[in-house]
Amino acid sequence: MKGKIIVITSGKGGVGKTTATASIGSALALEGNRVLLVDMDIGLRNLDVVMGLENRIVFNIVDIVKGKCKIGQAAIKDRRIDNLFLVPASQSDNKDAITPEEMIRLCEELREEFDFILMDCPAGIEQGFENAVVAADEAVVICAPEVSSIRDADRIIGILFSKSITPKLVVNRIVPEMVERGDMLSHEDVVDVLSIDLIGLVEMDDQVVVSTNMGTPTVLQKNSKAGDAFRRIAMRLNGNEDLPIVVPQVPNRFWKKLGLKIGLGK
Amino acid sequence: MLNGIFRKIIGKGDDSSKDVAKKRLKFALVYDRLDVSDDVLENLQRDIVEVISRYFEIDKDGLSLDIRDSGDLSALVLNTPILSKRRDTS
Repeated sequence: MKGKIIVITSGKGGVGKTTATASIGSALALEGNRVLLVDMDIGLRNLDVVMGLENRIVFNIVDIVKGKCKIGQAAIKDRRIDNLFLVPASQSDNKDAITPEEMIRLCEELREEFDFILMDCPAGIEQGFENAVVAADEAVVICAPEVSSIRDADRIIGILFSKSITPKLVVNRIVPEMVERGDMLSHEDVVDVLSIDLIGLVEMDDQVVVSTNMGTPTVLQKNSKAGDAFRRIAMRLNGNEDLPIVVPQVPNRFWKKLGLKIGLGK
Repeated sequence: MLNGIFRKIIGKGDDSSKDVAKKRLKFALVYDRLDVSDDVLENLQRDIVEVISRYFEIDKDGLSLDIRDSGDLSALVLNTPILSKRRDTS
């Protein structure tokens, strides 16, 4: 087995990296792949709570790298989804507890055991980012349609290109009503500014808050728009590259449309 | 989309907040992508002034050095009022 290492990154914090990692990883495992999620945010781990696996942590990534345990001992097996595993970050170490050389060595081993290894990258462009990216084959940049997120994404994209990685873009938290009103950048605007290929569009979805509360992956929720979008992103990463990208739409409201036609409303 | 067309027809909100955001972003990214520090720009400006001053009397306070985005390229734009030609150059 020669697995693929994909880093999920954004530059800015709080745009949905961890949710995306959990969702895309779960969806990839549901499709029958052997998937490992790695929380690279050493000192500020969160992928474990988002996945609802926080009570089962024994060892973490720093323990593996320092030889205190085997990969199999640290990887927590998800009981809801077959072939899904999580290696949590250490909460008590610093970001420089691991060196890039150690990461490259670890990733060589991980490639032998999993089809997909998803790295949940920390915010920022310091050592933690370097470690998450150093062995990556592919990168997915998560970006919200707002100026600070786009600016940071641009910086991250520049750094990834300098490491010979061509990242794919996910525009997350789209509010179609605001886009229609002209109060939110559309995904076309974001792509225009960042000039990289899209791999998915995710609508703002209250269900994400609910699934995070419960610690269940969003893709397991029925009728979740974000869950559907992440499932399609996973399919594209899994080789189904031609799957059309669905643009989030304003719900079709008959009266609103009629109102616009006859010149009411703003 | 209908909404956008409608706004354009009645001529209100020709610059919606997202248009402002996009313009500001593009401007900020020109600087970010070049990765030039303020020091470099200052040194560049000083050197350019020195060279131009050999030929023209210029108003150093009215001088501005900008980096602008023009399509795929970035352009360095220098604007300076020329007060007079230097006498000693012929």
